[in-house]
Amino acid sequence: MAHSIKISYSACHGCVNCIKSCPTEAIRVISGSITIIKDLCVDCGECLRACERKALGIDDDDWDLIRVHGDIAAIPDPTFFAQFGSYWYPELAKGVLAQNGIDLLVDDIEDAFDLSAYAAARTIERMSKDQLPVISIYCPAVVRLIQLEFPELLSRLVVVENPLEIAAEMWRKRTKSFAPLTLISPCPAKITMVRDPVGRRPSPIQHVVSMRKVVHTLMASGVKVSSDTPRGKSDTKRFAEWASRGGESRHISKFANRDLRIIAVSGLRNTMDLLEQLELGRLSGVDFVECRTCDIGCFGGIAVPESRFMAHMKHRHIETNWQLSPEREASLKSMFENEKLWKLSEPIPSRQRLPLSSDLSEAMARLKQMKAIFAELPHIDCGACGRPSCKAMAEDVAREQGEITDCIFKLREDISSLASQIISLADLQPNALKRIQPGKSIKVNAQRG
Amino acid sequence: MADPIHLEYEVAADDYQAAGAASNSVKETLKMLGVPTAISRRAAIITYEAEMNLVIHGGGGKIVANIDEKSVELMTIDEGPGIPDVEKAVQEGFTTAGDRAREMGFGAGMGLPNIKRNADVFEIFTEVGSGTTLRTVINLP
Repeated sequence: MAHSIKISYSACHGCVNCIKSCPTEAIRVISGSITIIKDLCVDCGECLRACERKALGIDDDDWDLIRVHGDIAAIPDPTFFAQFGSYWYPELAKGVLAQNGIDLLVDDIEDAFDLSAYAAARTIERMSKDQLPVISIYCPAVVRLIQLEFPELLSRLVVVENPLEIAAEMWRKRTKSFAPLTLISPCPAKITMVRDPVGRRPSPIQHVVSMRKVVHTLMASGVKVSSDTPRGKSDTKRFAEWASRGGESRHISKFANRDLRIIAVSGLRNTMDLLEQLELGRLSGVDFVECRTCDIGCFGGIAVPESRFMAHMKHRHIETNWQLSPEREASLKSMFENEKLWKLSEPIPSRQRLPLSSDLSEAMARLKQMKAIFAELPHIDCGACGRPSCKAMAEDVAREQGEITDCIFKLREDISSLASQIISLADLQPNALKRIQPGKSIKVNAQRG
Repeated sequence: MADPIHLEYEVAADDYQAAGAASNSVKETLKMLGVPTAISRRAAIITYEAEMNLVIHGGGGKIVANIDEKSVELMTIDEGPGIPDVEKAVQEGFTTAGDRAREMGFGAGMGLPNIKRNADVFEIFTEVGSGTTLRTVINLP
């Protein structure tokens, strides 16, 4: 499993703030700097939020290099339009960026998000009661979290492709262009979605850059809306709703033929709790579940430059047109009938962490060893061993990926027992030096014949 | 054959917040042993419902898990009021849960039926006034 977090070793001081923030316990601090276990990282971005020294960053493509080549076609994440002083309606943003030599895919995005919501609504309606609820696949961090921690829920993921990928394919088909496509991403998870696609292969998108970088470059070049900026109809598109929690759900329910029972949550803790409850079978009578690992939804993404609160507020002040014209509905229906346009082509595999051993008896023996090691540890989860908890430490030692003396308290115990051995050794004296001290009697051990 | 893995959890009465801890731990343990996820999910559901039963009805108690190469055995032991009519208690929708439990969204009468559905062996030993022991077994493939 690839991930899109990069580490600046010169900035990392080896503090242990990040390791505790990771929901999958994917980070260790070894030899004074961070290591990310790549198979366990889901790109939620929590470690970047936790790092005060900015030693963790986003591993994206080089926007400057992409720009040098010219001929830039870019897919904006729905959060993009709320990143500037005022809300840039999609048609306006398209006009502004066109003046800067960037072709922003607005029409294809509109079609793709409509199609995705339409396909999801039809899929939900055709499912039997015990197949519901289905889970949104829009947040790639949630998909990866399910692959890793909740594999029993994989069959509940809605089999509709991410609309950002659908848009890329539609654009390619429509323009027949060979130019590379760049996704402007609000988070590391969507970067990884492009680099290591799940449920489809390969990604129809070639480059991904963080939104922070794109917006800053645009602002530095003095971009602004002027009277000669070409504008289309100033209408908010339905896809813009997907930038905040519940937007996807609203889109799907507007397209549904019956009243859908939906739960939409954002933030890592809510996501974990909801998936846990879903796995325990506690969510009966629910049709659709939307989870976003970032607060407020994608506006809270770690690569989003504008304050998530401001972006959300700007977005809330615009109106969304939910009305589908009969022609629009007919065209969505015909696109929906062509499953190739929207259906995931491959099943999403489970990516569970390895058991202690592939052999059950051996794994049981190691588990006992792990419990024995754990019992010896101080259980204060201090992190000094470079692991998020004493439990993780015990597991690493049982997997032979660490030494018990990595624990500072165990090391102290060892030193203290060594020290007492030294003291007792120091008390031993050679016979020739043994003298009777004044006022003390000496025990004579030697037996005489 | 290796000695079975033995896990024990104390569950306090009316502690709705803590319920779920044993279930998580059983699930984690089975994952680490490489037991198929469909089975660890069933074990997690049984343990969760058992925890809730102890919290709501049993006045607290103990959950015991024994895992060997052949099966996962999950037992709950309480010294609560006992179950007067076991046949009734395993019917879906039957509940004696109090208002407090129902206000919190529990006590829908799905606990024991849910446990029964997920277990290969399901046994209840109960005596009114002295307590209940529930024994379930899930066979490993």
